[in-house]
Amino acid sequence: MSKNKSTAVATDPKDAVTLKGNRMKHLRQNCPWLLMLVPAVLVVFLFNYLPIYGVLIAFQDFMPGDPILSPLTRWVGFQNFTRFFQDVQFWPLMSNTFLLCILGFIIGFPLPIIIALSLNALKSRKTAKVIQTIFTAPHFISLVVLVGMLTLFFGRYGLVNNIIAGIGGERVSYFLESGAFRPMYILSSNWQDFGWSAIIYIAALANVDPGLHEAAILDGASRFQRVIHVDLPAIMPMVSVMLIMSIGGLMGVGYEKALLMQTDGNLGVSELIATYVYKQGLTGVPDQAYATAIGLFNSIINVVLLIIANTTSKKFSETSLF
Amino acid sequence: MPAKAKAAKSPLMQSSTGDKVFYAINYAFLGLMTLIILYPIYFIIIASISDPDAVLGGEVILYPVRLTLSGFQKILERSDVWRGYLNTIIYTVLTVIISLIVTIPAGWALSRRELMGKKFFMIYFIIPMFFGGGLIPFYNVMNSLHLINTMWSIVLPSVLSVWNLFMTRTFFESSIPEGLVEAARIDGAGEVRIFFALVIPLSKAILAVMALYYAVGQWNSYFNAMIFLQDANLYPLQLVLKEILIASESTMGGSGETILEQYRLANQIKYVSVIVSSAPVIMLYPFVQKYFNQGVMIGSLKG
Amino acid sequence: MSEVLLKSLKKVYEGNVTAVHDVNLKIKDKEFIVLVGPSGCGKSTTLRMVAGLEDISGGELYIDGKLCNNVAPKDRDIAMVFQSYALYPHMTVYENMAFALKLKKVPKPEIDKKVREVAQILDITQYLERKPKALSGGQRQRVAIGRAMVRDPKVFLMDEPLSNLDAKLRNQMRAEIIKLRHRINTTFMYVTHDQTEAMTLGDRIVIMKDGFVNQIGSPEDVFDRPVNLFVAGFIGMPVMNFFDHCKLLLENGVYYAQIRNAKFRLDDFQQKALKQNGQKPCDIVAGIRPQHISVGSGQLEALVEVNEMLGSEVNLHTRSDDDEVVMVIPTVDLTVDVSMGSRVKFDTKPRLIQLFDKESGNNLIWYDKASADACSPVCKAYPFS
Repeated sequence: MSKNKSTAVATDPKDAVTLKGNRMKHLRQNCPWLLMLVPAVLVVFLFNYLPIYGVLIAFQDFMPGDPILSPLTRWVGFQNFTRFFQDVQFWPLMSNTFLLCILGFIIGFPLPIIIALSLNALKSRKTAKVIQTIFTAPHFISLVVLVGMLTLFFGRYGLVNNIIAGIGGERVSYFLESGAFRPMYILSSNWQDFGWSAIIYIAALANVDPGLHEAAILDGASRFQRVIHVDLPAIMPMVSVMLIMSIGGLMGVGYEKALLMQTDGNLGVSELIATYVYKQGLTGVPDQAYATAIGLFNSIINVVLLIIANTTSKKFSETSLF
Repeated sequence: MPAKAKAAKSPLMQSSTGDKVFYAINYAFLGLMTLIILYPIYFIIIASISDPDAVLGGEVILYPVRLTLSGFQKILERSDVWRGYLNTIIYTVLTVIISLIVTIPAGWALSRRELMGKKFFMIYFIIPMFFGGGLIPFYNVMNSLHLINTMWSIVLPSVLSVWNLFMTRTFFESSIPEGLVEAARIDGAGEVRIFFALVIPLSKAILAVMALYYAVGQWNSYFNAMIFLQDANLYPLQLVLKEILIASESTMGGSGETILEQYRLANQIKYVSVIVSSAPVIMLYPFVQKYFNQGVMIGSLKG
Repeated sequence: MSEVLLKSLKKVYEGNVTAVHDVNLKIKDKEFIVLVGPSGCGKSTTLRMVAGLEDISGGELYIDGKLCNNVAPKDRDIAMVFQSYALYPHMTVYENMAFALKLKKVPKPEIDKKVREVAQILDITQYLERKPKALSGGQRQRVAIGRAMVRDPKVFLMDEPLSNLDAKLRNQMRAEIIKLRHRINTTFMYVTHDQTEAMTLGDRIVIMKDGFVNQIGSPEDVFDRPVNLFVAGFIGMPVMNFFDHCKLLLENGVYYAQIRNAKFRLDDFQQKALKQNGQKPCDIVAGIRPQHISVGSGQLEALVEVNEMLGSEVNLHTRSDDDEVVMVIPTVDLTVDVSMGSRVKFDTKPRLIQLFDKESGNNLIWYDKASADACSPVCKAYPFS
């Protein structure tokens, strides 16, 4: 009957006894639930919260092996951050990361929507199902294999070059060309994920009341007009939610893939903030405090972007994540 | 039959010329996209069973040329691939088992309205979705937990994804009717029994979805293994593949004929290893697709 | 003995929303009590507090003399039938019915005997091995009742058990519940929003609105002696006619009800009750049930706007000045033209007029006494009981 929380509120002093009894009852009921939460709380504490605590080293003169907090800790304030801002790599890293994300977003955001609308407009449900299955399959290919496939197609001795050589052209290793990195990165990401990203829209479209389509047909709307006036409005709320999420993740581009695609030849465009963090912090002579500061800077940009996107969306469309 | 004939003549089914054009364009578009998805996969398959020279000469485009299984023979001889395979299977199985034990009960607890401190727990789990310490502090934590260079450095950090936890919670909230739980309480079941005798049997869908998500995630991951493992005997398949598939592109030196010969052999192994490593997931996929889609839909319900 | 006593039971939700205010109710052993009211009136919340599914915010709940405020549902010795049936989908009918007994560690042969016995009574023996999914709505309903029956509970709680059934099945199941009730012979608490169910099933009916109990009484009580405008309007189909702008007159020690320009000399029991209360003349709302109107003669007149012929009776929707008046006239009594557009004279018997205070909406005759105890001395003096 009521969806309210069933926690009781005392309005009368003589009810206090009852409420105390309620609390005892709740405690007994809650014990198993709290126990069920323990493993998850522990895992998140270990692998998510301890690292957040570890972020403190970004403000320290830290050597690997030092305790995070001790009387000997040398605090250096924002020195690591200012060092990054003055780093010659700062602007290239920022623009590489930003460009890769924004270009990926421009293609990667609308494509799944178009695919979903297009699949939904098919007359045969069965065909739509089969095509959808095909479209989602590449999602399950691992990044290593995906990049491996890229080398097999665009590497010096890959398919494209084999054909070029076959017709007498010069072999070009696209992996060593900085101009080829972004197209390869973005197109392969879309190849892998557009079908998967479309599922959420397809599900929303499946819930559109068929009566709306019938009404539109009686009003004389063509199939294309129905896509624009019936289907598209139906998925708009989902589109806004996805938009907020992707803007929030704009600077959090998949560095694992970029790392796999990096070569000396394309480093000028393929070095991203996150890959730089990895290299500074874990390879060569590690400078962990500096790398942590750069990583923290990146996370803060992400959070800020997410908050901006969320508040903007709340203001204009009444959809928001939180 | 008569009913069908009548349906075909129904005015709703008749399309105008404009609609016919629309449908034609739509089919063409989807056909093109299907081709773009399928061809690379098809090419890998035909290249893996063709003569390496034919592949290198650009002859293999539409069909296999000079069928050979020598690539598969070579991969059978590579012990590192099979060790990686075995390691990945072990890591995946462990991850799935532990992750279900961690995720499912927690998801149930979070779905209870009467949970004490529910707000606190929700915020506790939401924060890591949007903010993290980053790579280096994470590495340091693993280091101080003495997990570096052990299999647990691969398994343990993967046993809980907060997204999956919230998906599980949303599933419970939307598909276990509160009335059932209340009926069980009146029938005399305690909260523990309700979870095991009522919730678990009714949650096969979410168990399957979660198991699959965690399994695919672990099967395909390489990064943690790359930074945490030094002992090659512990390498999972993806890390072995990384060396086979990618390392060569930038590191292979030499010039002229030697490099060509290296590529001739390496590429064949590459085609085969792509197939061998992706086969379990891709082959399983059509059968479990409905669960994956279900998962996305559960996730799309805003809790 | 399984008496249920609700002593100023209260339910306050977070944010100080009070769902149930001070409910006082004494349910006698083996009594069938029906809680009825519009949605949101607190009837289900009250039932769920008795079941132990909702915390009690204030007051006391006794089941069989034992204070149960903080007793877990399983220890209250109650059984409940849910509106959604709440059958465990992964268990067979047999397992569904046996679950509670299994948890109580009842020996297997005994469980088996009990389940089969109940299945026999409910005529579901042939479905025992099926899953709930394979059953029809009516069959599921029986299983839900059966699951409650096998426990031999002290109190049998039912939360709108029939509202998910279609009209025909609902009538059938209602009749079966009446039959069952005499077989089971225990205390029943039944929640519904359907007044037909309330009137046909209940020994006593509790009418609730906005978390308050408005009236507790037998079906006759609530129909013939509604304590206020709400109860009068809620019980009865079609709804009672209310005439605004009426007056209670006192002339030479005799009370009259004036409706428009018609004056009705009230019946003796009404005179007596009003005199006892020392009632002064005042503005009133007069209520007359559609079934209590006769046409053909009388001091009042109305224009027939709609005429619904139902066979044995005719429903007339008429307009009399500003008031819409509905009349239900048995066809045998029809002597005048009641076609659409015609004007008819109508009348009623003074003792059938309900008098409500214009300000408070309370019934001038039945209000105080009736709400204090369901059976007041005045009630017994009523000529029709």
